[in-house]
Order: sequence, then C-alpha cells, then structure tokens
Amino acid sequence: MPEPILRLEAVGKHFGGVVVLEDVSFDVRAGSRHALIGPNGAGKTTLFNVISGVFPPDEGRVLLDGLDLAGVPSRRRIGMGMARSFQNIRLMPHLSVVENVMLGQHARPGLLRKLKPVGLLPKSRERDEALEVLDRFGLDAYRGQVVANLPYGIRKKIEVVRALMAEPRLLLLDEPAAGLNSTETAALRDFLMEVSARGVTLLVVEHDMPFVNSLCEHVTVMNFGRRIYDGPAAGAREDEAVLDAYLGTHHKKGASDAA
Amino acid sequence: MSGYMAGVLAILGINVIFAYGIYLTAAAGQLNLGGAGFQAIGAYAAAILSVELGFGIVSTIVLATLAGALIGFLIAFPILRTRGVYMVLATFAFAEVVVGIILNSDTLGGAMGMIMFDYIETPAVLWTAAGVVAFVFYLMSTPIGLAMRAVHDDEPVADLMGVNNRAIQVAAFASGGALAGLSGALYAFYFGFVEVQYFNAFLSIFVLLYVLIGGTQTAWGPLIGAAFFTLIPEALRIGEDWRFLIFGVLIVLMMIVRPEGIVTRDAIDRIVARLMPGDRRA
Amino acid sequence: MLIVQQILNGIMLGGIYVGVAVAFTLTIGILNFLNFTIPVLFMLSGMIGWSLSFYGLPFGLSEPLGWLPSLGIGIICAILASLVVERFTYRYFKAKHGDATEHAIPLVSSLGFLLIFEYMVLIAHGSDPRGFHTPFGDLDLRFAGLVISIPQILSLVVSLAIVAGLSMLLRRTQLGRALRATAENPDAAVLMGIEVNRIVPVVFVLTGLLCGLAGALFAVNYGEVSPYMGDQVGTKAIAGMVIGGLGSVWGAIAGGLIVGLTETLSIHFFGATSAQITVWGLLLVLLLFRPKGLFGHNAIGKGKF
Ligand SMILES: Nc1ncnc2c1ncn2[C@@H]1O[C@H](COP(=O)(O)OP(=O)(O)OP(=O)(O)O)[C@@H](O)[C@H]1O
Ligand SMILES: [Mg+2]
Repeated sequence: MPEPILRLEAVGKHFGGVVVLEDVSFDVRAGSRHALIGPNGAGKTTLFNVISGVFPPDEGRVLLDGLDLAGVPSRRRIGMGMARSFQNIRLMPHLSVVENVMLGQHARPGLLRKLKPVGLLPKSRERDEALEVLDRFGLDAYRGQVVANLPYGIRKKIEVVRALMAEPRLLLLDEPAAGLNSTETAALRDFLMEVSARGVTLLVVEHDMPFVNSLCEHVTVMNFGRRIYDGPAAGAREDEAVLDAYLGTHHKKGASDAA
Repeated sequence: MSGYMAGVLAILGINVIFAYGIYLTAAAGQLNLGGAGFQAIGAYAAAILSVELGFGIVSTIVLATLAGALIGFLIAFPILRTRGVYMVLATFAFAEVVVGIILNSDTLGGAMGMIMFDYIETPAVLWTAAGVVAFVFYLMSTPIGLAMRAVHDDEPVADLMGVNNRAIQVAAFASGGALAGLSGALYAFYFGFVEVQYFNAFLSIFVLLYVLIGGTQTAWGPLIGAAFFTLIPEALRIGEDWRFLIFGVLIVLMMIVRPEGIVTRDAIDRIVARLMPGDRRA
Repeated sequence: MLIVQQILNGIMLGGIYVGVAVAFTLTIGILNFLNFTIPVLFMLSGMIGWSLSFYGLPFGLSEPLGWLPSLGIGIICAILASLVVERFTYRYFKAKHGDATEHAIPLVSSLGFLLIFEYMVLIAHGSDPRGFHTPFGDLDLRFAGLVISIPQILSLVVSLAIVAGLSMLLRRTQLGRALRATAENPDAAVLMGIEVNRIVPVVFVLTGLLCGLAGALFAVNYGEVSPYMGDQVGTKAIAGMVIGGLGSVWGAIAGGLIVGLTETLSIHFFGATSAQITVWGLLLVLLLFRPKGLFGHNAIGKGKF
C-alpha cells in the first residue's frame, strides 16, 4: 500500500470552550478521490483550515507525505503541493478572472519569474496557461471581467481553476458543487475525474451525495467534530453511525421499532 | 515653455512622484497618512548631503531616495503591527514626529529651514517623473504587483496562495518611502530651499487625496489624481482660499459621482476594448 | 508649585481635547467612520461665536451678555453643520453602497467638507487670530501660589458636566444603551431590534454638540479664536482618542487628559515646539505595545480600509 499523501493523527481543535474537532484521524491515499462528508457544523471546514494552516491544531498532527506540518507556515503549504478552495467564495474582488487565476501560480518557484511584466506583455506562458484552463472550463468569455460582478456558479468554478493553477498534488475542495445546477455539477465531476486521472489527489467536502457517490471511491464521515466512518463509499450507506448522524434519532427509533 | 508653465510642470512632476509613493502602499491595502513625513525626510536628507556634506546632485538624489526607503522599511515593522484606522493614524503620528524633530533640531535649521546651493530645472524633474511612472506601471504588471493587489483584497487568502503578506507590505512601505523621499529631494533642488512648515498635515492629506481621488485600482490613478489636483487650481485663477474651497466641493462631488476614483478598472477595460477591439489581453 | 500649576493647565487643555476626542471616538465606534469634519465643527462654533459677539447680535441681545448667546448660537451652528455632513457623507453612502465605510469613501468626503468649512471661514474672516472677550477676562482666583482664571474653572465645570452627562446618557437611558450596543456590535444591535439608522443622526448631533461646546470653552478659556484653531486641537484630540483606544468613551476621556498633560509638561520642560514630538511619539510607542490603545475594543477600527 502506497504511503498516504495526507495523514491526520488525532487532530483536535477548540474555539474557547467549544470543541469543534476531537481525535480526528484518517489517511488520504495518494491518487485517491476522497470525500469528507457530514452534517452542517460537523467541523469539515475547520478541518480544512487546520490542514491548510489557517490555524494550528490544538492536538494531534497533520502530515503531508509523512512530513509533520507543525510549524510550516500556511503560505508555504501551497508550494509543498497542497491547494484549496473555499466554501464561501474567496476570490479577489478587484482582480479580473485571469488575474485571479494567475494568482494561483504565485507559489511556483523562481524569483525572476516574479519580475516578468506579464500584464504588459501581449503574450506570455503564464497567461496562456491560465487562459487554457479557463477555456477548458468554458470560462473563456469571462476572462477580462472583474470577479465581483460575476454570477455565483461562475465564481465557484474560477476558485477551482485558481487552485489548480498551483499544480497541486493534493487538491482540497470545500463544497465545489454548491450552487451549481445539475449540468454544471456533471461537468465539474467529469473535469475532476480528468484532474484525478492526471494523478492529483482529491479531498472533497460536499453535501451533494449523488455527486460524492459518482466521484469518490473513499469516504470519511464526520459528526460533531468526530470521525464516525472512514472507508469505501459504498460502506457508508450501510453504516449505522452514519445513518444515525444523517437521519437522527428518528431513524434510531424506527430501527429499534423494527427490531 | 514660459517660466510659469515650467514651474507648474515641475510641481506636477514632484506631485506625481509623491503620489506614486503613497499609491504603492495603498495598492497593497494600507492608507499612508504620513506622506509629508517621508517627503520631508527626502528633502532634508538632500539638504544635508548636498549643503553640509558636499555631495553632487545625482548622488544626493539617489542617497535621499535610499534614505526614504530605509526609513519606510524600518517604520513598516511597528506600523504593520496595527490595523485599519489605527494604522492610518500611526502613519500620521510618524509624520508629526518627523516634522517635530526637524523643527527642534538646530542642524536642520529648525523653523528657519535650509538653503540649497545647487539647482535642477524642470526637464530633470519631468524625466525623473516619467521614469517613476514607467517603473510603477512595470511593477504593477509583474506577479509581485499582482500579489500586492491580492494582499489589498484579501490577506488570508493571499497568504494561502503563497504570498508573503508581510514581505509585500514592508516592501510597499520601503518603496513608497523611496518615491516620497525622491520627490522631497527634487523639491529641495528645484525650489532651492526646504522649510519644515511646508511638510504639514495638510500635505499628507492632499497627497492621499491625489491617490484616492485618482483611484487605487490601476496605476493610472495617481497620475490622473495628481494632475487633477495640480492643474485645476492653476486653471482656476482665483484667490488661494477660493481654490481650496472649490477643491473641497470637488472632492465631495467626486465621491458622489466616482467613489472608486476617477480611473477604475472598468473604465480602462472599456477604453481598451474601444481602441483595440480584437485584443487577446484581458 | 510651578509644576502643580502646569498640571492644572494641562488638565484644562485636556478638558478641551476630551470633548473633541469623545466626538471622534463615538463616530468611529458606532459608525466605523473617521470623521475629519470634527476639527472644523470645533472651529465653526468658536468662530461663529466670536463673529456674533464681535459684530453684535440682533434683538438687542448683545448687551450685557452678548458672548453667551453668541457662543450658544455657535454651538447650534456646529450641530447643524454636523447634520449637513451626515446627510452628504454617511447617510448618502450608506444608502448608495450599503456598507458606508467601504473604500474610505466617507473619510475622503469628510476631508472635502473639512476644506469647505475651513476655507469658507477663511474667506469670510481672513486667517488672523481674533480676541474673544468675556466680562471676566482677567479675573483670577489665587490661592497657595496657584493662579486659576474664572474661565478655567468654568470650563473645568463644563467639561466635568459633559463627562457626567455623557456617562449618564450612555448608562441610564434607552438611547445610551442603543448607542453602546451599536458601538460594540452593529450586527447584533440590528438583531436586538435597535434601529441603527435612527441612531446615526443622534451620533452626528452629539458630535456637533461636543465639538461646539469644546470650541466655545476654548474661546472663553484662551480668549482667542482663529480659522486654524481646529487643526491643532483636532489632531491632538485624534491622538487622545487613539491613545485611549477607538470606540471607548472612557478611553477618549483618559486619552484627552493624557495628551493635554503631556503637551503642557513637555512645553514646560523642553520648549514650545517639543509637544509635537512627545505627544505623537507617545502615541507611536504606545501603539507598539498596545496596538488597540489603552481601553480599545478588540474589533473596533481594525477593519479594512
Ligand atoms: N472561528 C470560529 N470560532 C468559533 N467557532 C467556530 C469557528 N469556526 C467554526 N466554528 C464552529 O465550529 C463548528 C464547525 O464549523 P465548520 O464550519 O467546520 O462546519 P462544517 O462541517 O464545515 O459545516 P458546513 O457543512 O455547514 O459548512 C460550528 O459549530 C461552527 O460554529
Ligand atoms: Mg463548511
């Protein structure tokens, strides 16, 4: 079995007295398509924030390629091969679509590259790359527009494109399908399949279960800050604890009644 | 070129350079209300280097620019500990302290000011200004310029994109200090004297207004803003007091009509689209 | 004894800064708006008060108490000017952009009003300082080697009354609770059923009143007014507010007094032009160790510009 690209060891996090994550452990295998699901407030976004280094965990460790990330500043992590998107879109409102996407290239190495007057050159490798990916997402028409004025679904996709521009090996997506219609969701799934085929590992938080089921082969389920299931996607549908978390006490009652 | 025109253009050139000094920090998301302090540092550094230490004009201007950069670099660390209004007012406090120190220093001439021996003419000022404009346009078109604008929009996300926010902000203060210092040195050489009363709080306010009224979204803003503020008063040939009154009215109206500044991204995009319909650049 | 006298003078000066600093801190705390018209509101009250008592009041009101109604009208004018500013800066941009504090728009607009008011007065009266005469101009109280003028006592009493009145207002009344709730958390205030929009004009009336009173006190106390009087006092009051911490009324009171004391003592020990260094240097050093001032609320004034 290959080494996990991401390993969480007993991660805990609390805000003041409120425990938001408790003893969360699981592995994300390199090359896998891994879903992280759970009811609202389960702590999924908080876990993403811990992984990407927005704040450190209060307990436990986060390991990328076996390397403990404790003390690695958040801005270095994208360069180590890990990029993410945000649940409530965080694009730069005053930058155009291409500029937002090109910001994703910032972590690539090379000081000289940062001194290249990309904005003045009629043609550059950086811009071409950005335009190419935008094209593949059908976003070409928007490239010059300022992001603040674009519809939600479009901005959602731009966030994914921006994260991809960093050429990550591990892509963390926080509810990428939220707000997309069914055709857009299907297109996003196909695209992520393609990304995955190129060897990028996906860790996806998503509420849309059909989307999760058609994309991911592995699922981790969280509830109240704890990991309650970790295994093949198919298994989650039969797991007692998972059903309980999603369907609540009603299900439990129903289950005992039936017994 | 008449002497009067030459004078107006020289002031315009100095103001443009000064405004770009303030713009560089504003583009990275910090309002610098201490412009007068940075300009005073450049002007007095030039006076000391040239008058007291006998440096040549070019080396004096270069060193005065570096002095502005150094002070901008050093002051960035304490100032960046604060945020928002606190930071704006910390920069203001910095300028007040600089002016206070000059006022109380005998070597710097106190309230009397200092007289320069060497002079520069309008073309020298204008060429320098052109160089500064070109430099800022270049800088803002690089990935570093993009990172500055990202820091302006959303610091936490810029950080996750790999941008070193702190380095960008410190660099913005240092390079902003350099340009403000450069404008101060040119001021000293052009007018032949420096006096501390000139570097007052209103100067800081005005240069920030050049930038905010011009617009911070593109590198055009400070150029247009400084031109607007320098040339309109000259065009309105009326008493000094009336000029400022009309200025006040213009500022209030401008915020109502174009709150994001005279030059915005949308405006540029529209102009570009009209001039070059098939342009692939976005 | 000399030093005690200086401390007294510092407190008197600080009393004037307090009024203006509280006006600044209320607008920042409640509206997140650095209102740069505050220095000219202060100046307007003093200059209008002076010009009415100098040129005479209608209805034979001038004698013998001409200075008092004149200052009263000056204060009312400051309040009216403050409401004009409210209409065209804060309220206008709030209606247009939702978030009125975005892009420092109201701040820039208030700088415009600063120029408008200041240069209107300059055009009307020129830039020379003018003497402001009160009947007890040279009556002094002397005891134990200290000299205190009647106007100083008067202004101390008024300053204390302002502070007491303000803390009563903030603590005891419905309006005060609404003001404090809004200052601490505007979103929560909306949820609590406070109509923030109705609070806004109140803040501006209070701003005008506080600045007007401070301007009147300045005129009586120093017997002199000028179109520039607001610049120095206004910036020093800003220093006081920052030292006390944005949004904190008690902080502004403490900060105003600290600045007044620092200024007089610094002038006493290091000469006339030294106060600029000590006051602003103190502010810089304080911010280095306490980036939110002495009593500042964590969230206030730190939002993006
Ligand atoms: N900075 C914070 N301070 C205090 N509590 C927080 C903070 N961030 C998150 N929480 C709390 O932690 C819990 C988990 O939040 P989180 O956003 O991680 O949930 P989630 O699983 O992403 O939910 P959703 O599906 O709704 O996005 C919630 O109860 C939330 O209120
Ligand atoms: Mg979430």
